[in-house]
Amino acid sequence: MSTSQHLFPKPPRGVDVMGELLHSLSQPLTSLRCSLELSIEENAEQQATVSAALQQTEKVIGMIQLMREYLDAEQPEPRAFLSALAPAVRSLVEELSSIAEVRGVGLRLVGTCTAAMPVPESRLRLALQYLIAALIEAQPGGGKVTLLLGESPAGAVLRAEGEGSSGGPKHRGTSLQTTLRGARIAIASRVLESAGASLVFGGSDVDPTGFVLRIPRGVGAQ
Amino acid sequence: MRILIVEDDAALASFIRKGLEAEHHAVDVAHEGTQGRAMAMEFDYDLVVLDLNLPGVDGLSVLKSLRQRKANLPVMILTARSRVEDRVQCLDSGADDYMVKPFSYLELSARARALLRRSHLPSESVLTVRDLCLDRVERKVERAGRHIELTTKEFALLEYLMRNAGRRLTRAMIIEHVWNLTFDSTTNVVDVYINYLRRKVDDGFTPCLIHTVRGVGYQMCPEGASA
Repeated sequence: MSTSQHLFPKPPRGVDVMGELLHSLSQPLTSLRCSLELSIEENAEQQATVSAALQQTEKVIGMIQLMREYLDAEQPEPRAFLSALAPAVRSLVEELSSIAEVRGVGLRLVGTCTAAMPVPESRLRLALQYLIAALIEAQPGGGKVTLLLGESPAGAVLRAEGEGSSGGPKHRGTSLQTTLRGARIAIASRVLESAGASLVFGGSDVDPTGFVLRIPRGVGAQ
Repeated sequence: MRILIVEDDAALASFIRKGLEAEHHAVDVAHEGTQGRAMAMEFDYDLVVLDLNLPGVDGLSVLKSLRQRKANLPVMILTARSRVEDRVQCLDSGADDYMVKPFSYLELSARARALLRRSHLPSESVLTVRDLCLDRVERKVERAGRHIELTTKEFALLEYLMRNAGRRLTRAMIIEHVWNLTFDSTTNVVDVYINYLRRKVDDGFTPCLIHTVRGVGYQMCPEGASA
């Protein structure tokens, strides 16, 4: 009895078990990915097979990365980080505008704010990227996405609006794409809400028509 | 260049070794921390690729010892930990770069080249691949003496391809380096921009320099050979 108590003082949390499993999975997946990448050049005859295997491996890796991002979002960073919202949104709009353009969607940013959030910059960018990219994806060709940044005595607001109706179920892509989009939005929500912001969606998680991110005044105060 | 890999996973270490040797580097491998630290201290390496989770002495302790004795030796960390805190700790301890598993070998190879270049050569302001020239300072591109007008994003993409001429680049590497975004396999923005570039850089010229590598991504071929 005492031995088993020593070995298992208390059952591990689900989030820790998941973290360890994902951590352990990353090692064999790295070997698999590297070996396939190196094999492509060596096996001219098998190139199509190796390419297909590499593409499938990369899909699995993409899903594992999403799971890790979700787990990371569940656990606050021990070190204090502070990231400004407006520069993050501005640089993302710059980077995402070419993706929007390729899809025939207009993307513009209006306004600014001075708010900062207690979250690492890379994680804030990731959350905003997932939200804005999902909104761009949900627009039909010729649609527009407008981002409005502003400030009031209550705090800062980022309002994102899609203009043009979604193309319905066909437009949403495969069920895997829909699942992945839903997972990315869940990650974004978790990151932003655990940093003290509130996020409200228009439409649904998998078919967004807009969102409003509110950062109450004082959220970024150290 | 001489490279030391300190990685306890024998399979992964052998793949990395094989890849780096194919790029004409001399590669040594250590499978545990004490051995890796001893080798890094004793021999002159141009780069150390160091796993964090090692038997014996852990990677972070190896890194800290190295920094006391060999402050300028480039060290790239490999780890399965992705949290910002972990990255900050590694960089604060003196790592020059940091790769999270499951990484791509092509990415590791590109970053190793960047570290080696940084420690050995001054940064080039003009990149040249055959008759294609890109001036990073003047922001000008010419092929066979003919001026080519590029947008900011096209310029950044061409610069990345030329800087890695002869190397295969995945779509994920391109989107992460040129767009600074997390890769999303559903977007075709890389393919679209490669097409824009091909029209401006390759159409009407021989040989074609931008090649598709099936199942991987793209490659700029300095010899214009089929990829």
